[in-house]
Amino acid sequence: MAKLVLAAGVPHPPRLVREIADAPGQLRAESLMKQVRTYFEKAAPDVIIEVDSDHFVNFFYNNVPAFCVGAAQESEGPQEIWCPMPKYVVQGHVPMAKSLLSFGLKSNFDLAVAEELRLDHSMMVPLHFLNPSMEIPVVPLYTNGFAAPTPTARRCYSLGRMVRRFIDQWDANQRVAIIASGCFAMDVGGPLRGWTDEQWVTTVSELLETGRYQALARRATAQRMAAAGNNSTELLNWITLTGAVGDVRPLFLENDNGNGYAVWELE
Amino acid sequence: MSIYHLNKILYRTDNDAEFRKRMKVDPHGAVEEFPLSGGELEALVTGDVGALYRMGVHTFFLNHLARYELFGVNRDNYLARIRDGMEYDERFELGQMPMQYVPKE
Repeated sequence: MAKLVLAAGVPHPPRLVREIADAPGQLRAESLMKQVRTYFEKAAPDVIIEVDSDHFVNFFYNNVPAFCVGAAQESEGPQEIWCPMPKYVVQGHVPMAKSLLSFGLKSNFDLAVAEELRLDHSMMVPLHFLNPSMEIPVVPLYTNGFAAPTPTARRCYSLGRMVRRFIDQWDANQRVAIIASGCFAMDVGGPLRGWTDEQWVTTVSELLETGRYQALARRATAQRMAAAGNNSTELLNWITLTGAVGDVRPLFLENDNGNGYAVWELE
Repeated sequence: MSIYHLNKILYRTDNDAEFRKRMKVDPHGAVEEFPLSGGELEALVTGDVGALYRMGVHTFFLNHLARYELFGVNRDNYLARIRDGMEYDERFELGQMPMQYVPKE
């Protein structure tokens, strides 16, 4: 049977790879990524589910699924010409994606499915650091985070619980890791650019550290996340992750300017 | 209102290399084929980021105006332009407001 062995939350600053290369010393973001990477290597997953929100690269307003499973054989990214990092080919895991799709539908989660994907920086930055050889196949699980209205945090928590039930019953000898890609609080291109809502970051961190995941899902209303900046709905991906980890608390959780880094060991 | 098409112009600028080239060579011609209202077209071609923001153009797309330096918008003037039409709320410093900039009444 399949087993969820690790969950990790990391951000995806599009210029991080370049910033690390240009920095005279080691950036905090680099050491935190390396720290998460250490646990990834130790857990040795066979497949990754990456919970993420597309930034209008794969999806546009002509077709916005609330939730979508990626079932492509392989995909390329990052597609953005302004994202300074290596381009990669990412292997999918079609049998797992299709099984998750079916399980979701039977569990009243009407997931969409996509068999061709254009991966953006938010998919690729975490994989660059955590799956650098790109040998581990990846099943993208998209949540609409930016084309308002977005799914509620409570629904994302339920999605995570469904994903966990899927993994636990999946008849495959596979070690599974879940990555949540996103920040806690940030504004990109909006009037609040450059400001971090530290109050909200503290609230989110405390609720995560103490394992009060359902309380976080209740408090992360659309209004509260929007007040923390237009990019703060990426927290939904972390909330989906918390639905999958059960009662386990994070092994560590660190903040870096509105960005969270955390690992849950699950075996 | 055709916010959809304003978003689409900027979406295609970022994701469609051929359209991006047209936006660089002849931006006025490139946007002509989209069914924008007079006010929308005016706001776009004058680089009025604040007006476009208030109309509801997504900030991720507005950001592309600065990224690709279209219609006079660049990284240096972007933030001031999007805040045009908003005002600083001093209650922010007292911890009574989550946002430091709010739309003018």
